[in-house]
Amino acid sequence: MLIFSVFKTLTDQQVTVELKNDLSITGILKSVDQFLNIRLDNIKVSDEARHPHMMAVKNCFIRGSVVRYVQISAENVDTQLLEDATRREALNQNVYLDAEYKLESREWRLPSGIG
Amino acid sequence: MDPSSGIQEPFDLIRLSLSERVFVKLRGDRELTGILHAYDGHMNLILSDVEETIMIVDVEGAPDGRGTVNVAKRKMEMLFVRGDGVILVSPPSRT
Amino acid sequence: MDETTPPPPPPESEQLPPPPTHTGSPTDFLKGVVGKRVIVRLTSGVDYRGVLSCLDGYMNIALEQTEEHVNGVVTNRYGDAFIRGNNVLYISAAEAL
Repeated sequence: MLIFSVFKTLTDQQVTVELKNDLSITGILKSVDQFLNIRLDNIKVSDEARHPHMMAVKNCFIRGSVVRYVQISAENVDTQLLEDATRREALNQNVYLDAEYKLESREWRLPSGIG
Repeated sequence: MDPSSGIQEPFDLIRLSLSERVFVKLRGDRELTGILHAYDGHMNLILSDVEETIMIVDVEGAPDGRGTVNVAKRKMEMLFVRGDGVILVSPPSRT
Repeated sequence: MDETTPPPPPPESEQLPPPPTHTGSPTDFLKGVVGKRVIVRLTSGVDYRGVLSCLDGYMNIALEQTEEHVNGVVTNRYGDAFIRGNNVLYISAAEAL
């Protein structure tokens, strides 16, 4: 759930999704779900010569399971915050944890009764 | 339990590597080094200052059967790695 | 459920202390092998030899003093290594238990 929350904070930002079949797609992250399925807008395929059929495609839905990497711009990530949230999730490993990142307070909000 | 290293379960090894540079071996003859900032129970990872190494075995032009290994490298500033591709994670040696 | 079904036989472990060599459940084996030298073979055929620090229910494994062997040749050494359980084919004891 932590990684899902991270991706939610990246919506409307540009990311590059590299698939397990080596296709790399750069676009604006429009939405993500708990399976880390991803919707991208304004997409551009990195190697268009090798994937000409993708040239006309403007947006796409990517099944989470076919993703190898997502490249993110480092300025969009608070690494200290991430590490703290990861430690907290690890402490509560036996609980299904639904940590919510609150944009207003820049805080990870845990469900009541945890951590 | 091993008393020398306070590790009770495998994920402790990963937790103790947060904010450290780790080595990650992936499916598809890929390796990464990067600074670990987040992980979850699937071994999804978020790393920064990443260098990826891809081993490409060139079978052609190698009649003895052992192809030459070409290595491709690239750098990425911040990277999410999907856990299902992870084979091994090695923290920096704690000496 | 059929009410006449006899209950399953009670576990035998209390009455019969097992001979030391080749009995015990897989779990007993795993408990016994923690802290010992092991060989972990992955489905890819790569072997990892090291001291088993611990493991969990997914067969995620933490190894110490690990050597990576590919085709019998040492290809890497790691002070510590976490191996994701789905890659594990087997764990073999490399010293007496």
